[in-house]
This record gives sequence, C-alpha cells and structure tokens, in this order.
Amino acid sequence: MNVISRGVKNSMRSPLRSGAIVLMLAISIGLILSMLVARSSVNAKIADVKSSAGTLVTINPAGINGFAGGGTPFTSDQLATIKATPHISSTTATLSDQLGSTDTNLTSSLELGSFGERQQRFDSPAASSSTSPTADSTSAATRPAFTPRTAVTGTTNPDSVATNGGSLTISSGSTINGSGSDLVALVGTTLATKNSLTPGSTFTAYGKTITVSGIFTTGNTFQDSGIIMPLATLQTLTSQPGDVTHVIAKVDSSDNVNAVVSALKTSFGDKADITSEAEQAATSVASLSNIANLALAGVIGATIAGAVIVLLAMVMIVRERRREIGVIKAIGGTSQKVVAQFVAEALTLTIIGAIVGLGLGVLVSGPMTSSLVTSSQSSTTATTGTNRGPGRAFERGLGQIGTNLTQVTSSITPQVFASAIGITLLIAIIGSAVPAWFISRIRPAEVLRSE
Amino acid sequence: MLSVKNLTKSFNSPSGTVKALEDVSLDVDTGQFVSIIGKSGSGKSTLLSMLGALDTPTSGNIHVDDVDIAKLSSAKQTAYRARKIGFVFQQYNLIPNLTALENVMLALEFGGVKSRERKARAEKLLSDVGIKADQQLRKPSRLSGGQQQRVSIARALANRPAIILADEPTGNLDSETGQKIFELLHNLSRSENTTIIAVTHDLDIAGKTDRTFSLKDGKLTKLSKS
Ligand SMILES: Nc1ncnc2c1ncn2[C@@H]1O[C@H](COP(=O)(O)OP(=O)(O)O)[C@@H](O)[C@H]1O
Ligand SMILES: [Mg+2]
Repeated sequence: MNVISRGVKNSMRSPLRSGAIVLMLAISIGLILSMLVARSSVNAKIADVKSSAGTLVTINPAGINGFAGGGTPFTSDQLATIKATPHISSTTATLSDQLGSTDTNLTSSLELGSFGERQQRFDSPAASSSTSPTADSTSAATRPAFTPRTAVTGTTNPDSVATNGGSLTISSGSTINGSGSDLVALVGTTLATKNSLTPGSTFTAYGKTITVSGIFTTGNTFQDSGIIMPLATLQTLTSQPGDVTHVIAKVDSSDNVNAVVSALKTSFGDKADITSEAEQAATSVASLSNIANLALAGVIGATIAGAVIVLLAMVMIVRERRREIGVIKAIGGTSQKVVAQFVAEALTLTIIGAIVGLGLGVLVSGPMTSSLVTSSQSSTTATTGTNRGPGRAFERGLGQIGTNLTQVTSSITPQVFASAIGITLLIAIIGSAVPAWFISRIRPAEVLRSE
Repeated sequence: MLSVKNLTKSFNSPSGTVKALEDVSLDVDTGQFVSIIGKSGSGKSTLLSMLGALDTPTSGNIHVDDVDIAKLSSAKQTAYRARKIGFVFQQYNLIPNLTALENVMLALEFGGVKSRERKARAEKLLSDVGIKADQQLRKPSRLSGGQQQRVSIARALANRPAIILADEPTGNLDSETGQKIFELLHNLSRSENTTIIAVTHDLDIAGKTDRTFSLKDGKLTKLSKS
C-alpha cells in the first residue's frame, strides 16, 4: 500500500457516487473532444478555402456589368493607375462591344429568343438596323423584329475569355497577340460555322476587313458566337482609344490581396466596383468561422463544467472524510501525503471519465461536426455566384467553394487528441487544488474532540 | 522523562477567550502508567493534544527527553507524532476502508519502516494484542468495539513510541472489555517500558495506575500516589 494505491482504492469507496462523477466527467470530456475535432476540422477547411481562393482582383467601372447597365469605361489613365498599384503583377484589360448588322457582313449565330428580345426592347428603332418596313399598327410596331448582335471582346489576353479559368482552346488556326493592334480576330466556333469562316478568311466589321487568325471553343454558346480581338484594335475601330470596361489584376501574393483592394478603393472611390476572390471566399467561410468560435466556446464551457464537477466532488469527499484526514495527520502522515492521496483519487476518477469520454467523443465527433456544419450552410450558398459578365472563371471558382463548404470532414488528429488529454489533466488539477487547500487546513487536534 | 511546565492553552471562540488549560506543570517518568481524571470540559483532551504535538500551547514548555516539542516546526511535529507518540482514541478512529492489517501498516509507513518489512511487523503487532490472522484481513466495520480498540493499540505501538496517549480508551466499551483493554495497556507499559498517559472516567481503572492527575477547569487540582 502506498499513497497512490490508497487514492485509487478510495476512488471506488462509494461505487454509486463514483459512477455518477465518472459519467458526468465522461460527458464533458466527450463534448470537449468532439468540439475540439469540430473546431480543428472547420479551421482546416477555412485555411484550405482561403489558400485556394487565388489572387485575382476584378475591377469594373461602376455601373457596368457585362453588357447591361450604364457607366463610363476606364480611361487609359485609370488603367495606368491600376497597373501602378503596388503588388499587382499583371493585368488583363478588356473592352466589350456588339456588332449590329450594319457594322458587319457577319450573320449572328445567336437566336434572340424571348429573353434576348426583352433585353433589346429598350433600344431606339434607329439603332436597330432593320426596322420593320411593314410597321403596321399591330404589336409588331411596339416590338419590332430585332436581329441579334455579335459580341466583340477586345482583350490584352485572349485566355481571359476561357470559361475554365485556363487557356483558351483554339480548335484551328492560331491565337492572336492581345497587346498588338493588327486587324485580326479569333472567331467563336458557332459563329464561324454559321458564316463558313476558317483561319485565313476575312470578314468586314466597322468598315474594315478583318482576317480570321483562329477558331476558338469554350463550350459556352454565348462566347462561341462572339469575336475576340486585340484590345488596341477594338479601341481604334470603335474610336474609344484607351477605354476598357473590365480589368482583372493578378496580385503577387495572397497576403497582399487585401492591401491591393484597399489601395484600389482609395484610388477609385465610387468610380469602380472592386471584388477579390479572397474577399468572396472570406464571406463564404464566415459561417464556418462562426462554427469554429462556437466550438471553442463549447470546449471552454465543457472544461469549466468538468473542473467544477471534480472540484465539487472532491470538496464533498474531503468534508466527509474530515475526521479520517485528521487521524492520518495525528498518526504522523504529512499534509502532502494526504493531498497526494486525494489527487490520486481525483486523477483515477478523471482518467476513467476520460477513457469513457474520449471513446464517446470519437463516436460522436463525426456526426457532431457535420450537423454543426450543415445546419449553418443554408445561409452560405446564397452569398456566392452573383457576379455576371466576362468574369466567369472567377465565378465558377467561387461556386466550387460554395459546394466545398458542406464537405468538411472531421478527423481526429493526434494534436487534437493530445489537447483533449491536456485539458482533462487541467480539469483534474483545478478540481484537486481547492480540496488540497481544505485538506491542509484540517487540524489534527480535531480528532480528539468528541462531538 | 516527560516534563510539562506552566502550560497554558486558550481558544478564541465567538463568546470570548476560553482557557482550556491554565498553568499546568507535571513530570512523568519513563515507563510510568499515568491516568488523568476530570469532568467533561476540564481540559483533559486539550492536555493530551499538547503532549502529542497535535496543537501548540499558548505558553509554557513540554520537554520530552530534553526536546521542547512546543517549539518544533510543523514538519518536525509531524515526525515526532509518527515516531515518538502513539494515539489511542475513544472512537478507535481506524481508517474505514483499510483492513486491520493495512491500518497498522499505514502507521509503519509514516514511521519510515521499509515497505517490505511492514507486513510481517504489522502481523506480529496484531497477534500480540490478540487479533487473529483472519480478523487481521477484515475492515474495521467487521470487528467488534474491543477488537477495533486492540487494532488501534497495535497501530499506536507500531513505531515503538516513547509515549502512548490514550483519550478515554475504554469509554465506548462495556466494563469487562474495557478491563481487558486496560490490562493490555498496563502489560505493555511493563514489558516495553512505554510511558502511558490515559484519560479515563473509570475511577476503578484510575486507581490501578501508577499515578493519577485530576483536572478541574483547566487546572491541576490533585496529585495522587506521587
Ligand atoms: N478547538 C477548540 N476551540 C474552542 N474551544 C475549545 C477547543 N477545544 C477545546 N475547547 C474548549 O476547551 C475546554 C476543554 O476541552 P477538552 O479538553 O476537550 O475537555 P475534556 O476533554 O476534558 O472534556 C472546553 O471548554 C472546550 O469547549
Ligand atoms: Mg475529551
């Protein structure tokens, strides 16, 4: 028999009470483990989403969104300002325009459909190339039969039109130099088929003859019915020198994205709409951070509960064995020995509670994490995917993030397990400290008092 | 040799200061069997707790073999209790979840006896006070009052103390059993030359001891057979 074995033996002195203490401890330790697991899994996911968010920043003139809305394009000075912003490593500038039937000899490959018709109903009849000559008093007068137009994108980087975020697929011919100013174009595969264009053939636009350099495919019907030209070419042809309607800037490192965004916001004020992938990603993981915080609160709460359980149990036990402690001191036991014996007893209860609780936590942490995550997801998905216009790759990436949020996998790492054990020991120590103080205050002379 | 000089102990209670012992002086020779009598509240237990270093006096000296135990540090007092003193209580005060044997071994542990020697020594002590082998493995709740008091005497003797302090050791026992316990203590003081100081209500028993001190309101009133 030594101090430790007496403590261990004492822990089983009142099986019912010990059982209740162990059960309560097991529940709080189980909760601690599953909350730690939820927290670390969610944090891992947040880090993952943020690191994969990329470093692109989109800058649109205020009010311009694709072909809809108004607004004034950026001037070359404004573009220079963007390029001069620190940490921006490269930019892709784009100018969008549309070719009506008077501007070109090409036939649009787009069917207007009811959506297209509605979009063009505001256009003045003059702007429309083929005002119906048989304009009678029927509904045809208010809804003239418009012809669809052909979208032209002038860009410094033809790859930015690709919908997959990578480089543009050229199905025949070769790509164009975006920074040049030649009268060349890439033609979408649908438009090319409709007008029997192949690399080397020519068409007329803005009164000039343009040579087809290559045919591209994106898989997107709207894109594949369009034309891509070097930015400078389109600027000259449309008499908008230096103007751009869409800029994508690449930041040198993800750490600098926020700085770039705020620098741009300072430069442009309300003249530009600026969005970063990282910003969008941060909004989309906001609910995950809430879960992480909730889980941390859970860990703290369960730790306090566990410590209070041990503390109250040990205080109760010490009070009950007051006389016994006095006797041990009277026959020559030191306070330290008595304290060690009670700590051993508290540790025994805590360790049994921990074994049961950690087992419980392992079983419960998976379902707990996924239920915490799914219950907070409905609000998240709605915040992504509102950006239209040429920044499609960008948008797709965010859509991907949205679906990934529901796929937080809970995993019990050794670190998480170690922290759970550390917290358990903390519980035992806190739970024993106060009773130890009580023990040291018990005077051995009390044993001679007959109450 | 135990020598007490001008021992005073007062307690601060909500109703004022209580003088439990007032200017008590006495000498006890080594190996003597001494009894202390007195009414309830006269300070008998307080005197024993001073002699056993369970508490420190307000003033005065207690010399045991030329060491003033009233002036020892609390760690030294604990060591003094473990090696020099054996306590026997009215309520036996055995540790309830330890067997008779383990109770005696506990005292041996505190006395610094090597762990592998404890068991044999405890068995010898218990059989010397009349506790049989099967009874030695029982917990106190499964022993009679007389048997429990024998176990507690074995525990008190464990470290061959200089002094055994017994506070009404027969108080909870019927007179016949009390008589036997008394005889056990008496024989010990003879064979081991252990000083025994026993508080008792039983004047019959007191009459058989070497000396009897009488306490009244914390003061020593009568020295008989001195
Ligand atoms: N710890 C204490 N605090 C306050 N008063 C005490 C304390 N211990 C003893 N007393 C008082 O001291 C007096 C003597 O007590 P005690 O020595 O126990 O008497 P006895 O053992 O002779 O019955 C009593 O009046 C008692 O109330
Ligand atoms: Mg008393």
